[in-house]
Amino acid sequence: MNYIRQEDLHNWLADIGEEYRLTAPVEKDGVILYEPIQSLDEIVWDFEKPVNSIKEIFFPQTEILMELQISGNGSDEIKEVIPTEKNILLNVRPCDAHGLNCLDAMFLDDSPPDVYYAARRQNSVVMGLSCSHMGESCFCTSVGGSPGDTVGMDVMLSKYEEGFLVELLTPIGEALFSDLPVTEQVIEVESPFEKGLFPVPNEEILKKSFDSELWGMQAERCISCRICAYVCPTCRCFDIRDEVVGGSNGTKQANRIRCWDSCASEAYRRIAGGHNPRASKIERLRNRVLCKLYYYPQQYGMLSCVGCGRCIDACPVGMDITEIMSVLVEGPA
Amino acid sequence: MQTKLLQEHAQMLLDTAQVECVIGYSLSPRGLTRPMFIYRGEDVEQLVWNQHSSHNLAKYLREKIVDLGDTGKVAVVLKPCDTKSLNVLVAEHKIDRLRVHVIGMACSGVVKDNNQERLQDRCVECEMKQPLVYDYLIAAEHTPEVSPGEFDQDSWQTEFEDYSSEQKAEFWLAHFDRCLRCYACRQVCPVCDCPTCLFERDDSLWVGPGSSIQEKRMFHLGRAYHLAGRCTGCNECERVCPVNIPISKINQKLAQVIEGEFGFRAGIEAVPSPLLTVVSGKEYGG
Repeated sequence: MNYIRQEDLHNWLADIGEEYRLTAPVEKDGVILYEPIQSLDEIVWDFEKPVNSIKEIFFPQTEILMELQISGNGSDEIKEVIPTEKNILLNVRPCDAHGLNCLDAMFLDDSPPDVYYAARRQNSVVMGLSCSHMGESCFCTSVGGSPGDTVGMDVMLSKYEEGFLVELLTPIGEALFSDLPVTEQVIEVESPFEKGLFPVPNEEILKKSFDSELWGMQAERCISCRICAYVCPTCRCFDIRDEVVGGSNGTKQANRIRCWDSCASEAYRRIAGGHNPRASKIERLRNRVLCKLYYYPQQYGMLSCVGCGRCIDACPVGMDITEIMSVLVEGPA
Repeated sequence: MQTKLLQEHAQMLLDTAQVECVIGYSLSPRGLTRPMFIYRGEDVEQLVWNQHSSHNLAKYLREKIVDLGDTGKVAVVLKPCDTKSLNVLVAEHKIDRLRVHVIGMACSGVVKDNNQERLQDRCVECEMKQPLVYDYLIAAEHTPEVSPGEFDQDSWQTEFEDYSSEQKAEFWLAHFDRCLRCYACRQVCPVCDCPTCLFERDDSLWVGPGSSIQEKRMFHLGRAYHLAGRCTGCNECERVCPVNIPISKINQKLAQVIEGEFGFRAGIEAVPSPLLTVVSGKEYGG
């Protein structure tokens, strides 16, 4: 196992920060958030998990896809905006990196690939930080992850004594660290984590659950905000709109923007003419849970829940996906 | 003990079919206090009342009454501060008071979230220990053991008043910058209940769906104006914010201004805000 001292890592980051934009957990008004950093001193090394997920670096809350010049005389201009910034993402939790793996299935592996997401993914290096413990709401071990899971990472660091163990996981990670002062050491790494497992309902149970009373009972307290989707590392629904931003002499300037959307909101599924196939929050909650546990696995072969527990922490009214999974498998308590 | 009295009363209401549903609090499997809807007398044991009963359940009244159709009553557990929201909803004809059975709880304050033992800021100086409106009162038998908060509203306000406009803008924009536009603040608010929110129109008439600082500022300030004279200060918006934006400070400021100008505090009585009903000074066109 490779080992690097904190001080050496710090110096190396200072150098590489010239070339890459660094994003890491920072603390702002008592909240830990993944954000681009201005100074290495901002980086938080001891934390459970940021409130937001790392997805917003690849799939920003709002992004301009195209800049449009509309003259109406046949000489309209359309300029695609492809991101070029090079990113290093530091201290990414295993659940977040696992979430990127889920997003890749839809944005990259499914045809056609999403060029905006792909550009950011190609220009980014994911440096994970393994977890030393599982938080109150964490349940990654129930859905195929673990505090030492390396899926979706180029490099994984693990806190060890006065520095970090370094696992180089991809050619990108190896290339990046080729000039890094790491030392080879034989180290016994502690694992595994003991934590009660929540049952994950199988396909048959989920299919049968469609008309279950469970959804109504659980959804009743839902307030139809979007918090669960917006903090989720794998929720990836979006809305696209053209917005006029300026213009003169008969020419309009507009941006085609893409921004996050959430199936929990009432307007999400409303269609032309005003019909809403998911008018009630019962249908919306069912969709959200089945998307994680059934629809996404059907389409992409993997769960789209990574067990980070952010939705549980953030929910204003105590909704809990692990409770719903348990009730689906074991029946009501 | 309040829990026991609450359960007994809820059971009586359901068993005698005086109400079809009781909206109260229960514990999640993780032990978190959360809103609960009870329809059968045998389920009342799930109801709890504790220092984590922060949610303003007046929020659910409107949709529950619609759910029940043309008749039928719903019972709701309300803290003293929550009864102010009820008054606003009744004054604005959002709900029919006759279809609500209010179980008023005497309250000595709630704590911020399930992991904290400190009273919420709004509870520290709250003198309203009894509900303003109730059909059945459950009195307090003892004061919950919670340490008083350290927050001093007066000093915060005074300090803030000394800020220049630029400093105020800087303060707020730094906070708004973190906003996710998740709308939890709006959705949890009992009186923020437009059928189509102006910040979520498909045609982006007033503000688009993006997350630029201008759009976030529009959302927060626009929402505050819409709540002026209507916000009762339950501060649920601030409790639910995932990124700790001190939203209630804006609402408190507006409430102070309105009290100064109109001598009106939202929710003390079931009368509509003077901002909607009183024409004075230059508004006469003079």
